[in-house]
Order: sequence, then C-alpha cells, then structure tokens
Amino acid sequence: MATTDATQKPNPLLDLKVLGPILALVVLIIVGALLNGNFLSAANITNVLSRSAFIGIIAVGMTFVITAGGLDLSVGSMAAFIAGLMILVMNALLPVMGPGWPLVMVGMLVAIVAGTGAGMVNGFLITTMRIEAFIVTLGTMGIYRSLVTWLADGGTLSLDFGMRAIIRPIYFNGILGISWPIIVFALVALTGELVMRRAAFGRHAAAVGSNDQVARYSSVNVNRVRMMTYVFLGILVGVATIMYVPRLGSASSSTGVLWELEAIAAVIIGGTMLKGGFGRVWGTVIGVLILSLIDNILNLTDGVSPYLNGAIQGVIIVLAVILQRDKKAEG
Amino acid sequence: MTTLSLSLSGVSRSFGPIEVLHDISITLAPGEVHALIGENGAGKSTTMKIMSGYLGPTSGAVLLNDARVQFANSQEAEAQGVVLIHQEFNLADQLSVEQNIFLGHEKRRGLLLDIKAMQAEARALLERLNCGVSPTARVRDIANADKQMVEIAKALSRKAKVLIMDEPTAVLTERESEVLFEQVERLKAAGVAILFTSHKLDEVKRISDRITVLRDGAVVSQGLTAEYTEDQMAEAMVGRDVSSLYPVRDTAIGSDVVLSVKGLSVPGFVQDISFDLHQGEILGISGLIGSGRTEAMEGLVGLRTHSGSVQIKGAPVAIKSPAQAQAAGLCYLTEDRKSRGLLLNKGMRENLTLQSLPEFTNWLIDQTAEERALTKAVEDFDIRAPSREVLVGNLSGGNQQKLLIAKVMLAGPDIVIIDEPTRGIDIGTKQQIYEFIHALSRAGKSIIVISSEMQEVIGLADRVLVMRLGRISGQVSGADMTEDKIVRLAMGLGATKEEAA
Amino acid sequence: MTFTRLAAGAILAASLATPTLAQDTKVIGVSIPAATHGWAGGMNFHAQEAVKRLEEVYPQLDFVLATASDPAKQVNDIEDMVATRNISALVVLPFESEPLTSPVKAVADGGAWVTVVDRGLAIPGIEDLYVSGDNSGFGKVSGEYMVSAMPNGGKIVALRGIPTTIDNERVAGFEAAIEGSGIEIIGMEHGNWNRDDSFTVMQDFLSKHEQIDAVWASDDDMAIGVLAAIEQSGRSDIQFVLGGAGMKEMIARVRDGDKMVPADVTYPPSMIATAIELTAVGLTSTAPVSGRFTIGSVLVTPENAAEFYYPDSPF
Repeated sequence: MATTDATQKPNPLLDLKVLGPILALVVLIIVGALLNGNFLSAANITNVLSRSAFIGIIAVGMTFVITAGGLDLSVGSMAAFIAGLMILVMNALLPVMGPGWPLVMVGMLVAIVAGTGAGMVNGFLITTMRIEAFIVTLGTMGIYRSLVTWLADGGTLSLDFGMRAIIRPIYFNGILGISWPIIVFALVALTGELVMRRAAFGRHAAAVGSNDQVARYSSVNVNRVRMMTYVFLGILVGVATIMYVPRLGSASSSTGVLWELEAIAAVIIGGTMLKGGFGRVWGTVIGVLILSLIDNILNLTDGVSPYLNGAIQGVIIVLAVILQRDKKAEG
Repeated sequence: MTTLSLSLSGVSRSFGPIEVLHDISITLAPGEVHALIGENGAGKSTTMKIMSGYLGPTSGAVLLNDARVQFANSQEAEAQGVVLIHQEFNLADQLSVEQNIFLGHEKRRGLLLDIKAMQAEARALLERLNCGVSPTARVRDIANADKQMVEIAKALSRKAKVLIMDEPTAVLTERESEVLFEQVERLKAAGVAILFTSHKLDEVKRISDRITVLRDGAVVSQGLTAEYTEDQMAEAMVGRDVSSLYPVRDTAIGSDVVLSVKGLSVPGFVQDISFDLHQGEILGISGLIGSGRTEAMEGLVGLRTHSGSVQIKGAPVAIKSPAQAQAAGLCYLTEDRKSRGLLLNKGMRENLTLQSLPEFTNWLIDQTAEERALTKAVEDFDIRAPSREVLVGNLSGGNQQKLLIAKVMLAGPDIVIIDEPTRGIDIGTKQQIYEFIHALSRAGKSIIVISSEMQEVIGLADRVLVMRLGRISGQVSGADMTEDKIVRLAMGLGATKEEAA
Repeated sequence: MTFTRLAAGAILAASLATPTLAQDTKVIGVSIPAATHGWAGGMNFHAQEAVKRLEEVYPQLDFVLATASDPAKQVNDIEDMVATRNISALVVLPFESEPLTSPVKAVADGGAWVTVVDRGLAIPGIEDLYVSGDNSGFGKVSGEYMVSAMPNGGKIVALRGIPTTIDNERVAGFEAAIEGSGIEIIGMEHGNWNRDDSFTVMQDFLSKHEQIDAVWASDDDMAIGVLAAIEQSGRSDIQFVLGGAGMKEMIARVRDGDKMVPADVTYPPSMIATAIELTAVGLTSTAPVSGRFTIGSVLVTPENAAEFYYPDSPF
C-alpha cells in the first residue's frame, strides 16, 4: 500500500538534509571570525583552502566510490606510495634530464599512471575477484604503507634540492592570487558535481549503489561502473599527490596517515549515504572545509586544550550527521 | 487454549491531513477464517497494522473480547496473542529456523541459552504444522513455503490466538498453498481467529468463512463467503464490472519469425530448449515454479551464463549481457519488481530512464527530455502517483508494475519478455496491464509472457509453451489452451488423457 | 614478526654440542617499535647495524630482532621469543609503558637479563639495565640555547610532539630553562612529530601572531614543516628555528651555516645500539653493566656538526 506521507513535498530551503552541512559551515565561519580577526584574512583563507585540497580532491573521488556502494581505505597509503614513487623517479632521472619542467611533467605522469594502476588493482580485486571492498582496500592500505616505508628505508624520501625550487610553485603559486591547489580542487569539485548530477556515469553509480541487481537487470554494466569509480579515485589520488609533493618535497611512512578516514568522514558529513545509492559532491566539499576549519580555528584560539581537538572534531562530525538524519528511517 | 476475538469498531486513520481509513468495523471470531480483500491501496495493510499494534487508530477502538485495548506497539499486541505475519518474510536469513522462531523470546537457563529446549519446541511446532524442515536448517536455505511455515510456527510459539496474514500465498506455488491451507484449517479447528488477504479470489472463496471488502479506505461489503461469487467479490473491489478481464484478441500475427532460439541451455536450470516467436505474437510460457521458465529467459538475455544459438530477425546474435540483448532489440522485464526491477529509494524519473540513459545523454543527461518522457509514460501507462517526485518505493504495487513496463518499453525493444506481469496486483490494474500488452502487440511488438497463473497465460497468449524440469514438455495453442492440458504437460503427463495412456 | 638471522646453525649447535658449549651459546632478543616515523626509522637502522656487527664480534651470541607496529604485537613478539628461542637477555624499547610492563616483568622473573631502552616501564626496578635519552635534559639544552641566542628575550612559538610523557618532560625542561629570561611562549600546539601537521600548525601561528622571533620546533621533522610554512609566508620576523633529534639533513644545514637552522639538539636514535652492545658485554664478560645509563642531549653547532653526521643512516 502506498504510504501517504510521500505526498508532502518538503521545501528544500527548510530541509535539514540539504541545510545541515551548510549551516554547520556557516556557524564555524562565524565562530572563527569572532575568535580571531585574522581568520578571514586572505592569507588564512588561502592556507585553509590549499591544505584542504589534498583531502578534498581525494574525497570527491571517494564520493563516487561510496555512492556506488563501495569503500576505499587505501587512499592515504596510496598517496604516500605515489608521492614516494614520484620523488624516486624524479631523483633518478635528474642526472639524465636535468632540472626543469620536462622532469616535473614526467613526475606528474608517474603520479597519474601509478594512481590509475592502483585504482585498477583495487577495482579488479573487488569486481572481478568479488572480494569485499573493505578487505581489499585494507590489504592494499597495508601494502602501500609498507612499500613506501621500504622505498624510504624507514626514513624520508626527499626530492633533490635543485628540483624542489622548480616544483615548489605548484603548491605555493597560482593565478590571480589563487593558488594552484585551490584551482585544481575547485575544478575537480565542479566536474565531479556535474558528473554526479548530470552524467550517465553518476546516475549509474547511484543506481549500482542503490541496488546492483536492478542496475544489472536494467542493462547497466555493474562491474564496469564499480571499476571506474575506483580508477577515478586512483587518478584523483595521483592528482592530490601532484599537489602534495611540491609542498615539502618529501614523502615518508607518515605521509597521508588517516587521510582515508578524513576523506570518508568528509563524504558522510556532506550527506552521501555510507551504504551507497545517493551521493552529492558539493556536500563533500563542505565536509572537507568543515574538517579543516575546525583544525584551523582550534589553532587560532587559546581557549581549548589541544588535547581536546579530536573530541571537538568528533562532536562536530556527529552533529553534522544528526542534523541530516532521515527521520522516516525509524518506520 | 483460551480463545480471543478481535474487533475494530469505527476505526479511522489519518496520515497527516489525509484520512486513509474511514470508519472501519470488523470482527475476527475464534475458529473463523476472515478474508480481507480489496485493490492495492484500498487500506488492507493499514487495517492489519492497526489490528496488530504497528499503528494506532486516529479514532475508533480496537477491542479484544469486547474490552477496549490500546497496543503501544506490535510487541504488546503479540504479548496479548495478536500476531501479524508480513508479506515480505520477517526472518533473519542467516539464522537457523529455531533461532528465528525464538528470536527476541529466547529461552534461557541461567545466563546461557537453553538451545536443547528451544530446538525441541521448534521441532514440535513444526511437526504440528506438518512441516518437515529441520530446526537447525538456515532460513536462507529453505523453500518459500517452509519460510511461511516458520513464520506461523513463530506466531504459534508466541501463543497466537489471533493470526493475521498479509498475502500469505503471494510467493507460494499452488502445491505449497495447499499445505498452508491445511494448516489454516487446523488452526481454525483449534479456535484461532484468522484474518488473511489475497488477490487470488478462488482461494478466498475456498478457505474463508467470512469476507470484508475494502475500497478506498472504507468497507464496501461484508458477509459470509458463501453469499459471494468470485465475480461479485471482484465487482465489489473494483466498483465496476470486471467479468471481461482479458481484452479481445483482434490482432493478426505476422508470419515473420523475429526470434529463433535453438538448443538454449542454462547450466543447472535449463536444457536444450528451442522455440520461434513471430512478429506481433504473444507467446505464453507456463510451468511449475522451478521448471526453469525464468532462468531460461534470463539466460536468453545474458543475465545468466548459457549456451545455444539465437537468431533475431534472421541474423545470428551472441548475447552475453543485457546491454547486448537490448542492442539487438530484446528486453526482459523481471518478475521481481521490488528487488530487481526498480530502485525503490529513487524517483520515477531516474527509474524510468535508467535502462535507456544513453538515449538521454549527450555528454550530460538531458533532464528536460527525461521529464517529457515521464509525462508521456504517466499518460500512456496511467501511472497514478501522488506527485512526480514520489519515491518509487511509496507507489502501490500496480503503479510500480506500470512504471516498470514503461521503463522497459522506453528502451524501445521489438521483442519483450514479461515475467509475471501481474504478480501481487489488484484486479483493476491487472485488466489495464492486459490491455497494455495487447496494445504492444498491436504496435507490432512480439511478446513472451511467463506466468504462474494458468488463467492469465490462457487469457493472454496466442500459443503456450509448457516447461517441466528445465525442458519444454509441450506446446498448446488455440482451442487446446485449457488449464487441464497445460497442467498435464507441466506435471509430465501427456497433453490429453488418451496420450498419457 | 621480523626475525633477522633465524640461525639454524644455533639450533644445530645446541643439539650437537657438549653441555658446556651449549651453555655458552646465548640468544639476545631485541624488540623495538616499527619504523613509523623518522626517528624510529633511524633507531631501526642502528639496531640492525649493531646486531650485524655484534654477531661477528661475539660468535657465542645469537640475536633475534623483532619490530612491532603496536603494543599488542610487541607483547606477542616478546612471548614468542621466550617460548621459541629461550632468550637469555631481552633488549626492549617499549611501545607504551603500561601494556609492556607485566610481559617484560615475566621475562625478568624467568631469569633473563632485561635491558629497557628510552621509555621506562610503569614499575621501576624490573630491568637490569636502563638506557635512555634525557628528555628533560633535551628540553633544558634547547631552552638554554634559546636563551643564549636571544639574550634580550623575545616571542616564540613552540610545537609539541604526540602527547606522551616524553613530550611532557621535554616541554617541562624547556620551560624551566627559559624561565625569567624574557622569552615568552606565545603559542604552543601539537605537531605530532609530523611534517605535514607542523606545516599546518605553523601556517596558523603565522596567521595568528604578527610578530614571532623564533620557533622551537622540538623535532627535526617538525622543523622541516615549520621552515616550509615560514618560507611560504615570506615573513622576515622569524630569526631561526630550533629542531631536535639529529636528522642528517638538519645536521648538514647546521654544518653548512644555514641562518634559519643555526643549531640542533641531539636525541640519538643510536641509543638502541648502545643498549644492545652493553647487554652483549654483560652476557659475555664480568664487567659490571647493570644500572642506569643516560645518554645526554648535546647541542650541535656549526663547529661540531661533522661529528654527528651519519651519511648512511636513513635519519
């Protein structure tokens, strides 16, 4: 029998599911501005947005993976591994190619190719081999983390000093005063939003996450859709690494630790359903900003013991999700 | 065992501003089987939920042995002996039969579970129901009919004196239904008050003592079953004459073979079946559940691994996936609309275009075109939804089925296989769907209809293939299409008594 | 568990040799945390080097080295060593004090020699030998350098490590050393001994404070993040950054006279080598080695930097 409550269409402006994350972000911005005058300065905003870019770019990819009913725990380790690989290759080719943009391009290519490959490995094991995504990516998480520790011999891989000066502008410079990580993050987010809402791939990902049997019976190639979500995520991890390496010019076993959880948290705060079937990229962007703003505000104020940073972050994550909880779910 | 009678007296129920039940009065007496019938959306489920404590009445009263009661929730109703068995089984698939029967009411000895006692009691209950399933079997491994029995055993273990069953036979074969009816008779003899709903009016006629007919949330007719014919029941439900359920076949079948299947096998289910389908033809496929009907067709469209050769319009095609089948103009419409046909938590637009999304995509999805398609589908297939944005899971079964047909037809197939076109759908909508199928045939589409309902296959099809144990056991057409002949073929006897001898 | 040198020879020798000889072949177990950050990486390197060298020096000793990624695994490692290798001595750098205390006590009660490195156990007196760095001394040396570098006082920000006893002792030592000097700590946050975290924290310090005279990064990994953030801001008010531990890149910058990195304070990961060596001495000779052995923190300046530069170490 049809339930009749569906007849009342909620006003989107009053819908907490839409409004929740935005509201949380606005509150944070107001709190930040009240606590410290420099909060809204151009420099601080640039800092926060640039440092959000790594997790942000990855989280956009993660939105698709989760929407299609998957999960990827390996992205943090994958980023560390790709960063290590990128540095090793550039250092190795430096005597041959000399310092310069061609070598930077090679480094970028390495990152993208490695990301694509890593995504394909995850996707292959999950789709073709039919192993749970949680287990596959838990496994690859450990593998990439060990590989980077091994590549670095337990220490830190550092980019040759001469190359560092050339590659540095990728993180610190930009156009019209907007730094490259922000520009790339914005482009990735806009494209992601468009693909999720308006492209067949986004619709198919949501259908697969919602009910893969229905998708299969509707002539959707379920395995290919799943595979592509992991490959796109891998590519985006590569892109994030391209932004990351220029910042400190190094990679170690502590690079990218817990990025996977931050990315997943951002996706969920943004209103994507963890069990799949529904995703929104703009929400993810807001989730990422909320997470980095909390850190930023806590650093800019003295009121709270730094021991409690994690607790405050936890409370805000839970609140953001409570705000958008589906009330009908109880029935 | 003491007995109970349960009554609703002048019960109304509203959701928000909308009243969906109006002044319902109904009494379930001990030792009586009461049938509650009505079209989808008539208010049957809400009525049952109010009886069993899942919902409260907005006004009116629930009476137990003439004393007014207010159930706070279903647990409270169960504690008093009123149990509802849902249409979709409420069983934990991974748990054993015994664990399911005692779920939430486990017997304990000290801190530990008294598994021996529970298994013994489960066995006793199942024996009482004449059900051979082992208490230690996992629920996911047992047949649907056994699941129904486990549900009933679960109800009995809670000392049910009023048993309410929502479409208990919807997922059962006729043989399984027979077993269920025997148990209903026994429970009735033991003084249990029973209420059930069903769309199968022959069943209602056979096993119920009393009937209440609902239409649009109100009781339109109530009385002893003996006073009704099946036609009268249907008329009361629909509110108009439905004696001519099947439209008159007025289309000439073309002579061109559009689909030719040779030696189709699906490992484990189907062996070596061959048939031809003509332009504009409606081909019925009948057979018992488990005879491989669905598996054969799922194999044909690439949903299962299969072997054999297929020609469409004379050209050989290799079909490995539903997408390839669709590209060749062949689509399959699943029997399981809820878990394989539609995305219940998505809107109508997303569902409608899912199968033909490339048609609406040119880099980006053309949402205006999608909206136009939805408008047309709503008109063409008379889909009645409270709003365009409604989640498909909130549509009634009939409207879901119409949407599913619209979705598959939007993909533009020339050949469409419809598996169980009217399962769990009320009689008024059934009539509409039969009309759609005829209209498709008139438009030159070739159609295969799989159905467990003998009458449906006979009423719709030009020709019927009967399957048994994964093979085609015979074919009937024209005047030979009778229930008797089809059943004999399905059971492995000759088409006529003479042939069998 | 990563057993290096699973010496089949030792088992063979034990089964064939005479009782007196068998008594002489002793096994030393070394249990340390895995190389999850720079300092630990250096510590792993020095442990492996020491084991390799000592096996040649002392043919009658066998070593078994295990690295653990969490306290629970370290407990398992130690139990395995006792059960399967019958160790005569255990050198352990506890992942955390509390969870390791009773397993290590069990080893000591079984009669084996126990050397504890760097992080003390929760109950004192279990170990025969305690080799440690001097965390409060580390803070004190750092603070004294700050005072000498800024005789007129000034405003500094400080970055702390992962919240632990080690970190608390260092900070307390530092604060005590600068007390009354006119140096004011205007901001203190956890950078978790991590480059990325310290970069972020320093960016925010730079937004928050108009004038910062110097930074106590308290760790070389964190110093690298801090230096990158300062470079990005283009600010010239910060005179120098003081790290710590003795990472070879930072030692090289001190040696080469980098203005922003004028000094470093050691907290040598090679203390594990000291501990293994002393344990070997204790097992093979009559020289007294039990008690406490503290490795002081030394100020590295351009004059003495070359002594602290280990080109082969990963740290």
